[in-house]
Amino acid sequence: MITITKLLVAILGVVVGIVFGAIPGMTATMAVAVFLPLTYAYDLETALWLLLALYVGGISGGLIPAILINIPGTPSSITTTFDGYPMAKRGEGERALKTGIVSSFIGGMISLVALWLFTPILSSAALKFSSVEKFLIILFALTVIAALSKGQMLRGIFAGFLGVLVTLANSFSVNNQYRMVPAFLKSKMSDGFQLLPCLIGLFAIAQIFEEAEEGMNFKIQKTDSELEGDVKFSLSDFKGQGVNVIRSSLIGTFMGVLPGVGGSAASILAYAQAKNFSKHPELLGTGVPEGLIASESSNNGLTGGALIPLLSLGIPGDSTTAVLISAFMLQGIQVGPLFITQNPHTWNTILVALLAANIIMFLVMFFPIKLISKIIYIPRTRLYPVIIMICIVGAYATKNGRIFDVWALLIFGILGYIFGKIKIPASCFLIGFILGDDLENYFIQSISAANGSLTVFFTRPIGWVIWLLIIASVAYAIWDDRKDKKKKAAAK
Amino acid sequence: MINVVYSTEHWIVPRIVMGVLVVLLLAIIITEGRARVSEGGSFLAKPGRFFIDGYDKVKLWGTLILFAGYIFVIDKVGFTVTSMIFVLLFNLLYAGLGKKQVLVSVIIAIVAPLIISIMFGVVFNITLPKGMCSITFVDYGFTIY
Repeated sequence: MITITKLLVAILGVVVGIVFGAIPGMTATMAVAVFLPLTYAYDLETALWLLLALYVGGISGGLIPAILINIPGTPSSITTTFDGYPMAKRGEGERALKTGIVSSFIGGMISLVALWLFTPILSSAALKFSSVEKFLIILFALTVIAALSKGQMLRGIFAGFLGVLVTLANSFSVNNQYRMVPAFLKSKMSDGFQLLPCLIGLFAIAQIFEEAEEGMNFKIQKTDSELEGDVKFSLSDFKGQGVNVIRSSLIGTFMGVLPGVGGSAASILAYAQAKNFSKHPELLGTGVPEGLIASESSNNGLTGGALIPLLSLGIPGDSTTAVLISAFMLQGIQVGPLFITQNPHTWNTILVALLAANIIMFLVMFFPIKLISKIIYIPRTRLYPVIIMICIVGAYATKNGRIFDVWALLIFGILGYIFGKIKIPASCFLIGFILGDDLENYFIQSISAANGSLTVFFTRPIGWVIWLLIIASVAYAIWDDRKDKKKKAAAK
Repeated sequence: MINVVYSTEHWIVPRIVMGVLVVLLLAIIITEGRARVSEGGSFLAKPGRFFIDGYDKVKLWGTLILFAGYIFVIDKVGFTVTSMIFVLLFNLLYAGLGKKQVLVSVIIAIVAPLIISIMFGVVFNITLPKGMCSITFVDYGFTIY
């Protein structure tokens, strides 16, 4: 059922998402995390409408500052600056923005179709999983994040396992014994640190510490680029770009499926492919719609893609969908192989809400783009105090009112800030943190059933396939790392 | 072989994970150390400066202290009043003490906590920290936290 309330929360979500996406340094993850507490007040359906709208809006908003001031609003719009900013400098700002918005919309729609088609297939395959395969698939999730964290493989895996260790500081569900919990915290930590304070801390509070360190002196020059130009947007810019749009969207969707990869890797790959296949590769980077289309359709292609492993395997595709997992948990719904068959209604809601979010995003951005693009001038110095306040509300409400969770928020904020300093990828830590409990349960179940024998992990054929994937992801990482080093050596 | 014993099984996975972490840590130290040696440096990296050059001491430590203070006070005084005080302090810290800046800070500090308090606490009925400045309107059945 589509109700007025749902449409209103979706519009609110899209607009707030765009604001977060458009202000450099603030991200879609932050938008979803900060507004998660609001969903406590709603039923699951309305909550999903809000969250998916925030997600789509947050990913889309990043193109505005990327085009107008050459600063990507979100990491995934880095490649948007390559062609978007040169266009804006030539006075084609409006054309660039509208091209970006249309590409985003198409990317979102294509990924929605992929989500609709592939999630049930993957779920039914995963239904055959025993605890052994479930354990291995989580192990795979932990290695593949690392494999794609570009030359940081070991640090990525380290971060993932550190996340597992931190999440295990609780009382074990089987024998109710505490581990790694100091005596004075036992009453608070029977189920460990909560996901929400961990997540907001790592992705919102840490960011504020970082910018406080840098002094928060950001002045944006209003004369930086020109929105008033003679060149208007027309759909003919998309002529001959059909293959480009579809290829880039699918790259985005596919990269979204891999856990922890994130938008920046997807858009960089899509941009590189657009250049490879282009008839005029030399023009890319000088301000042609082609590059812009590749970048924006791929990063919105990510939205549906990242939901595929989340809904079929219970593994988040990126940090934003990691927040969505906690939203499901809060509403008492377990995502995983059984999700679609047990909750067909919720599954439909997700598809409809995502469709609506994309359409609303398009309407809200395309027509009033001149007005919307003023968002980038909102000073962050004024927003951060309010965001801190909302984060505290969210953390406090996690377990219906505990000050302990607010302290945890600050602790994870400091931890995230330190991670940034010592180059430990926070997104890998988060995925470990989310999957840690399941990893332990499936491991214990597997070896209990096998009377303690570890060979159980190597005797099942589906297990072999997952082992192959794990080995392939690590091998890819090593190969990729070597290639990079050789390139660097050659450059010297 | 791992023996799963009921009374100690809560330590099985944490111990394995710790072991994995130690191995990974050694691997990181060795690979990065060797990379530095092959580039003609020493095996151990010189400890760099933790903070960036000329970092903003006031804003960074101010954020930390204000944050901790905010949490410490919030469930004693109540959400709305505490938030007004600390949103003001954060605004002054980040935006400076110019005459116009202070005026904007004061306006934000009064309006924003009120909106959040009413929207979350009253309209959506979400639990906010309660303290001595929280007021419950018994006749109307709602609380300004």
